[in-house]
Amino acid sequence: MVIGFKDGLKLIGISIICFCAVFVCTFFINYYVDAAAAGSNVAEEMKVMYEGQLATAKLSCALSGCCLSLIAFFMLVFYIKLYVDGHGKQLGILKAMGYKNGEIALKFWVFGLSVFIGAVLGCAAGYAVMPIIYSQMTVEGLEIPIKFHFWLPLVMIIAPTAVFSLFSCGYAYFALNRPVGDMLRGKTAKSRKPRKERPQGLKAERSGKERSFLVEMGFKTLSSKKMLAFFVAFASFCFSAMVQMGGAMNDLDAEAMGPMILVIGVVLAVTTMFIALASLVNGNIKNIAIMKAFGYSMKECALAIFSGYVPFALIGFAIGSVYQYVLLRVMVDLFFKEYALEFDFNVKVFFITFAVFIVFYVAVMLFYAFKIKNISVKEIMAEN
Amino acid sequence: MINAQNICKSFNNGAVRVLKGVSVNIEKGDFAVILGASGSGKSTLMSVLSGLEKADSGSVIFDGKNISEMNDKQLTEFRREYVGFIFQQYYLLAHLSVENNVKLGADLVKNKDYLEIIKAVGLEEKLKRKPSELSGGEQQRVCIARALAKRPQALFLDEPTGALDEQTGREVLDFILKLKKEQGFTMIMVTHNENIAQTANTVIRMNSGKIAEIYKNSASKSAFEIGW
Repeated sequence: MVIGFKDGLKLIGISIICFCAVFVCTFFINYYVDAAAAGSNVAEEMKVMYEGQLATAKLSCALSGCCLSLIAFFMLVFYIKLYVDGHGKQLGILKAMGYKNGEIALKFWVFGLSVFIGAVLGCAAGYAVMPIIYSQMTVEGLEIPIKFHFWLPLVMIIAPTAVFSLFSCGYAYFALNRPVGDMLRGKTAKSRKPRKERPQGLKAERSGKERSFLVEMGFKTLSSKKMLAFFVAFASFCFSAMVQMGGAMNDLDAEAMGPMILVIGVVLAVTTMFIALASLVNGNIKNIAIMKAFGYSMKECALAIFSGYVPFALIGFAIGSVYQYVLLRVMVDLFFKEYALEFDFNVKVFFITFAVFIVFYVAVMLFYAFKIKNISVKEIMAEN
Repeated sequence: MINAQNICKSFNNGAVRVLKGVSVNIEKGDFAVILGASGSGKSTLMSVLSGLEKADSGSVIFDGKNISEMNDKQLTEFRREYVGFIFQQYYLLAHLSVENNVKLGADLVKNKDYLEIIKAVGLEEKLKRKPSELSGGEQQRVCIARALAKRPQALFLDEPTGALDEQTGREVLDFILKLKKEQGFTMIMVTHNENIAQTANTVIRMNSGKIAEIYKNSASKSAFEIGW
């Protein structure tokens, strides 16, 4: 069969995102359940703080769980589409031989394996950090013992694996619903769209704006890979929001949470950014090869491929900055107003984060620019 | 124009020796065909002569410049200034229109008259079409326009008619020959088609990584004249 276990295990990006989601949800849900059970022992004067902690756990769990699950879904859709396009000929042969879409789609369950691995590791890591979380979050004078809830690992591991495997099969069924001929000829799903009839003639054909080749290449690369713009923006968002949020934890007397949030943010940002840019380079490898053959320099190739995504990185960063401030402001105002915590937008942290982000973004682009430099024109040509 | 002496090239750390001391001389304005069976080293020779790849040893003098001693950056500059390519598999940029594919070549030399070339290849009605909306022959004509739009001194063609049917192949070949006559560039074509060799001035026959023979045709013919 075309799809093997190896294909399912290759999606390391999904594993990392699932790891982060399950990691955060595991300790927050466990804490929430244990803290809720201890509610009757809470003294009246501690009630407000206690309620605040419960609400924090619930909100953090819901936000990070939903947000990361959504990203994992998008990433899975992206990978499956990429897989079906990249293996169009092999899948087309199977269809030509008489395999039904459903039969082939069922084999895509292996894409859920990456979710399984991320979930298992995330759950284990969640249990490992639980003592720190409990000591950090629990109100002084209140005893909340860590209890093991057997249903939690089941829900955290089995449920996402099953949901993602089912989703993989379903989406693959949809993605495979294309004419066999198109798949055998290596046409992607997009290229099947019927073209709009346009007026004929040189003047009529040249009604559009005049742009240089490199600018046009930048625009078209962006429009042909819109999903990657979303991933670039998401990576920047994670970096901006979570690094700044990690920095703000000191102001909120939650020092232990700071490094954890920061590490999760950096891991998510690095993973997503590398996946996005690697897909961008791999998806354009033949275009880069032909540009190099014609004499375009490494810098020109890199600019043509990457430049369209820079605004999305900046937008993601800006949204992340606003998001982290609004989220923490809401939490402070709603849940901890009795404690008169000093919290405001930290301009210094913002500028430091922005500077580090610029360095990070440029470093990732340079890394891929050097990959472009090492693309062997002859090897790419010989692959066909 | 191009003088290559004792070119050796191997792959897989020397395990596969593809070129074994090849020497050729191609005059300015010449149409040279490199002929040979699959695996004879003809495409590798073309890559070395055009600066796509570096030889392990030997020298390639192109218009007085020793390209075998150039680094990657210098080779990029060299290709930008001197050579154009037409490949069997077209390698058109699938998400760009005919016009923008041709601009890939034209912008390198700031050629604003690239539309004339598109007209010359008969695709002025299909400027905004994507490669997937064109026939094989039309796609190859876009490749020709793209290569000529950068006004190369030497045009390298790797089996340019290999992916076309016989009739379209003949048309494309005659079209290239007509443009060569008009513009006077040097042309080096790799092919395994013996008939195509009759259209060339110089034929370089390769066998197992060596030159088997080099001969000149007294009068080159059109693709339709050779009956191919």
